[in-house]
Amino acid sequence: MEYQVKEIKKGINLHLIHNDKFKTNLVSVFLTTQLTRENVTKNAIIPAILRRGSKNMPTQEDISRELEEMYGASFNCGIDKRGDNQVLKFYMESINDAFLPEGEEKILYKTIEKLLDIIFNPIVENNGFKEEYLEQEKNNIKQAIEGKIDNKARYAIDRCIEEMYKNYPFALYKYGYIEDLESLDRIELYKYYQELLKNCKIDIFVSGIIEDNVYDTVCKSNEIQKLKDREPKYEKMTLEIIPKNNEQVVQESMDVTQGKLILGLNVALDNQDMQYDALIYNSILGGSANSKLFQNVREKASLAYVASSSYLKAKNNIFINCGIEIENYEKALKIVKEQLEQMKQGEFTDNDIEVAKKGMIDAVQTIDDEQDTEIMYFFGQEFCDNKLDIEQYINRIQKVTKEAVLEIAKKVQIDTIYFLKN
Amino acid sequence: MQVIENLKVKEKLYTEKLENGLTVMIIPKKGMQKKYIIWGTNYGSNESSFIVPGETEVTTVPDGVAHFLEHKMFEQENGKNSLDVLTEIGVNANAYTTNDHTAYLYECTDHFFEALDEFMDYVQHPYFTDENVEKEKGIIGQEIMMYDDYPDWKVYLNALQAMYHKFPVRLDTVGTIETISKIDKDILYKCYNTFYNPSNIAMVICGDFNPEEILQEVKKRLLDTKANGEIKRIYPEEPEKIVKEKVTQKMEVSRPLYTIGIKDKPIDTCQGNDKEEIVKKHIAIEILLQLLLGESSNLYKTLYNDGTISASPSMDYEFSRGYAHILISGQSNEPERVYQTLKEQIKEMKENGINEEDFTRIRKTLYGNYIKEYNDVTDIARMFLADYFKGINSFDYIEQIMTVNSKYAHQVLNEVFDENKMVLSIIAM
Repeated sequence: MEYQVKEIKKGINLHLIHNDKFKTNLVSVFLTTQLTRENVTKNAIIPAILRRGSKNMPTQEDISRELEEMYGASFNCGIDKRGDNQVLKFYMESINDAFLPEGEEKILYKTIEKLLDIIFNPIVENNGFKEEYLEQEKNNIKQAIEGKIDNKARYAIDRCIEEMYKNYPFALYKYGYIEDLESLDRIELYKYYQELLKNCKIDIFVSGIIEDNVYDTVCKSNEIQKLKDREPKYEKMTLEIIPKNNEQVVQESMDVTQGKLILGLNVALDNQDMQYDALIYNSILGGSANSKLFQNVREKASLAYVASSSYLKAKNNIFINCGIEIENYEKALKIVKEQLEQMKQGEFTDNDIEVAKKGMIDAVQTIDDEQDTEIMYFFGQEFCDNKLDIEQYINRIQKVTKEAVLEIAKKVQIDTIYFLKN
Repeated sequence: MQVIENLKVKEKLYTEKLENGLTVMIIPKKGMQKKYIIWGTNYGSNESSFIVPGETEVTTVPDGVAHFLEHKMFEQENGKNSLDVLTEIGVNANAYTTNDHTAYLYECTDHFFEALDEFMDYVQHPYFTDENVEKEKGIIGQEIMMYDDYPDWKVYLNALQAMYHKFPVRLDTVGTIETISKIDKDILYKCYNTFYNPSNIAMVICGDFNPEEILQEVKKRLLDTKANGEIKRIYPEEPEKIVKEKVTQKMEVSRPLYTIGIKDKPIDTCQGNDKEEIVKKHIAIEILLQLLLGESSNLYKTLYNDGTISASPSMDYEFSRGYAHILISGQSNEPERVYQTLKEQIKEMKENGINEEDFTRIRKTLYGNYIKEYNDVTDIARMFLADYFKGINSFDYIEQIMTVNSKYAHQVLNEVFDENKMVLSIIAM
């Protein structure tokens, strides 16, 4: 694997990941902007409108047919929340030219062209987006927002975050708010889109077999030529811990069979480098089958099937997640708190650390085996002060000590206890 | 070892059937960091009645035993849990149960051979006690309740129950709180001894390996077990017709979920049925589904533009011993409209035939999709294992696809897409 970043213009980077072990090429474009209450819904609807049609492929049917002809190239778009940023994501994947039946023309360049066309050449009517597309997509975004409740486990974590970050940008739902949708106007929204393209951070990734012409294909395209230098408006990762809710308890009722218990924890780090220690802390607490949560909540007490924790690097939070019988709330909460206390008391061994490191290193080593994972890894590094490549990352994990993990344990505090019951 | 090379996707399969009956398949992937190994027994939640080789009486066990066994296999006589041991070695281990097979696996970058000792040891050494069986009932009980809150699982299961009168594919893989309460260690041992014989097991290994070397490593770790005779599996007789056309369940969801099912005649893959035919039929059905309701279809355009659907539904053809059906699932405010318009579309296509240009384009797409399946070692290994239990070599899809033409597809359309065998399952508030 060879990784190169080239600044095409100020605030616009082209990332080339050369790797010849895949059957596919993957091209991604990420538009990153600040997460704000004012713009969250507008950002959410823009990809939905863009995928409806471009100047060259005016309808969704045109796009689909074009992609089908390219041996099933696939287009995907979505919205992500990354720290206090909102990311508009666009992907196009196509098979490598080496696997096309004989006599077929190459499709990598076509893949890049089509993706850029969809993102940067929307179909415009009378100075705005197409009325029909906007109205239909309002409806679809409304359904996506309402769809929040469909996955109860995911819903419980989202609700915990909302309660933790009340009145802060990070509480915002990535698809925005229904009350904003109605007033969106096709001309205003198009203006907003043009502003967004002037100010957002733009990252273009191409992963696969990168030939020399790839750079030119991207840089010399009309779409990229039209863009100007910018001071991109986005938030880098900070250590400032915002929520201060001191173990607030939030309980909510819904039609569920199983209770979902979520604990939102703050990890107050002194510097970004401590994040690697926090990763190991989380792994011992609830990151694997050997973890304290899995062993004690599930295996010993037989209270749950799911009992785990995950570390959200962008905000330095840990979320503990257990699916339990509703009447076992007190029992489960007590065991969870005991595990946190044990971590504080240093009741974990050097072996626990070794196991956690092995698991972590194993996961990091496989980043290079999946194109989208690798792209997300390098994209994530864009938000860090010290960019690490995969090898440096592994070396840093190897340096984590018991003292360092104990240091993390002392900095962990329960912020919010959320329980979804019936 | 037999070597099968596929020149289109540029991969090789090394395979050997060992003396004790175990089939080993190795797909080397140069340059991949991740190594993946999986072995599975040809035994899933559908097998609750059978005749043990050498016996004459039929054994019937409670629903959910295959999955219960999967959970309990990790427990060892020395008091250790193999999942913990494997995690400690530094590999990522797991297991799963489906309708027709149960599989154990791990993936890693380093420590592969250390883990292989434990991995092959635990699956060959069951250890069940009254106590450890009882304890598991609490954990599996929570797993069952977790699935109860998944509307997408419920809508799927309800569709199966609308199609099948008796065939066990209609049941939840994990069983119910009631059936698992009846499971004890004797039942587990009996099922283990019947179905975990090497002759009923297949292993797939994928990663940057030398096939000869890895095969020797596997052989070294096998117990000296003799191949079993044939297990007679007994399934209830399933009528061709469906149970009922429509079923609706209330759950707290933002928008109704639907699954449309089309019941097909079972393909008896184990009885030397023409494998080429099965693969061709499967390909034709996948193309037909895209032509009917894929993103470039007229029906999709109509339903999207009037707001009935907002994404293309997932569409699959599922089949194994004793059953076969098509499932189309998605979310819509008007599932009934999706269902009715699809029926009309099928009828129209039957009458007017298939547009040749559309057919060729969709076939290209499918070809690309088959190629894409060879990116990830996990996907490759799982695909080869699941297909193996259906009697299929996964390469056959890429090999056969260009032989499927529109005339054949039209024939499959007439045979399989029968409006009297369609069901609609809905989950709504």
